[in-house]
Amino acid sequence: VSHEQTEFAEFFQASWEPCLRAVVASTGSVQLAEDQVAEAFARAWLSWRKVRRHPAPRAWVVRTALNAGALWWRRHVRELPLAGHDTPAPRDMDDGLDAAVLTALRHLPDRQREVIALRVFLDLDIDTIAGQLGIAPVTVRVHLSRAVATLRHELSSSRAMEVDR
Amino acid sequence: MNDDNELTDSAVLSAVRDSISGLPMPTAPRLEAITARGRARRRRRLAGVSIAVTGACAALVVGLAGGGGSGGPVRQLQHVASPVHVSQVHLAAFTVVAGPDGGTTLILSRPQVANPSAVRQALAERGIPALVTANEFCRTADQPAPGVGDVVTLGSPQAGVVIYGSRIPGGVELSIGYRQDPQDSEISFSLIQAGAPLTCTSIPDHGPHGND
Repeated sequence: VSHEQTEFAEFFQASWEPCLRAVVASTGSVQLAEDQVAEAFARAWLSWRKVRRHPAPRAWVVRTALNAGALWWRRHVRELPLAGHDTPAPRDMDDGLDAAVLTALRHLPDRQREVIALRVFLDLDIDTIAGQLGIAPVTVRVHLSRAVATLRHELSSSRAMEVDR
Repeated sequence: MNDDNELTDSAVLSAVRDSISGLPMPTAPRLEAITARGRARRRRRLAGVSIAVTGACAALVVGLAGGGGSGGPVRQLQHVASPVHVSQVHLAAFTVVAGPDGGTTLILSRPQVANPSAVRQALAERGIPALVTANEFCRTADQPAPGVGDVVTLGSPQAGVVIYGSRIPGGVELSIGYRQDPQDSEISFSLIQAGAPLTCTSIPDHGPHGND
C-alpha cells in the first residue's frame, strides 16, 4: 500500500462524516447526500494527487458533492428499475432533520447554500471559502449575509407560528 | 438591531449547525466501495460517449410533477385520451403520462436511447422548459435560483423523480442529461440560464471545474 493510498484512506475515514453533514444541510436528504458524498470521494480518490495539495480537501469534496445543486442518479443496470431507490426528503425529515431549518435552507440559492455548508460544517474562514468557490471574499460575505438574513426570517416565522399554536 | 424575537447571526448559524449535528449519520462505506466507484468512473471517462445499447429490460424512470402511473416501453407513437382527461404519449424510447392535476410522468426505456428532441418537446408541451441531452450533461456557468432541489425532488421508487415545472422561473430551463449503457445508467438534473453558453461533458460534472 503506497503512502498516498494510506493518506487517502485516513482522509476518507476522518472526513466522511463532516462532509456528509455539510451536504445533508444542502440536500435535505441523508440518502441523497450519502450518494453524492460517496461519488465525491470517488472523484477525490481519482484525483488524489491534486486534491491532497488542495488548501481545503474537505471543501473540495463538499463542493464536488454539492456543485451547483445538480441532482443525479447513477445506478447499475441490474438495480433498475429503481428498486430501493432514494428515499424522499420528507422521510428524512421524519427521521430527525429539523424541518424548519431544512425548509429555510432549501429556499436559499445554491451559492448561498454552499457558503453556509462550508462556513458552518467545515468551519472554513471567508478567504478559504472564497478561494474554494473562485469568488472574491467580499462576495462570500454578501452571500453569507443574505443567507443568514433569509434563514433568520424563515426561522423567526417558523418560531412565531409555533408560538401561535 | 435585534429585538427579543429576532435571532442573531450566530444563533441562526447555530440553529443550522445543531439541526444537522445532532442527527446520526450513516457510517462511512468501505473504502473499497469508494475506490471501485472511482475506477468505474475512470472506465466510463475513458470510454467517452460510446454507447452500446444491448439488453432489453432496464428502464430509467423519471416522475414529473407528481405524476401518476406509468406503463412499460412501447413501440409506436400514440395518444390515449380517457374520461378523466389523462393523456398519454407513447414513443419508442420514452413515455410521457400527464394526469388531471398537471402531474406528468416520464419514463425513459431501453433498449433504445430516447430521442432528446422528442423528450424535450413532450415536456415543453406540458409547460416544462428543458434542455434534454443523451450521452452528455450540460450546464451553464451560472446556476440560477431556486436550487434545483426546489424543482426536482426524489420520490419513491413508484413515483420516480418529481419535477415541479411551475417552479422554474422565466429565463431558466431544466437541463436533463442521461446516459444508458450496459453497465450504468445515469440521469442528471440542473438548472441553467436559457440562452447562456453551455458546457457539456460526457459524465455529469458535479465537481469544481478543472479538478477532475
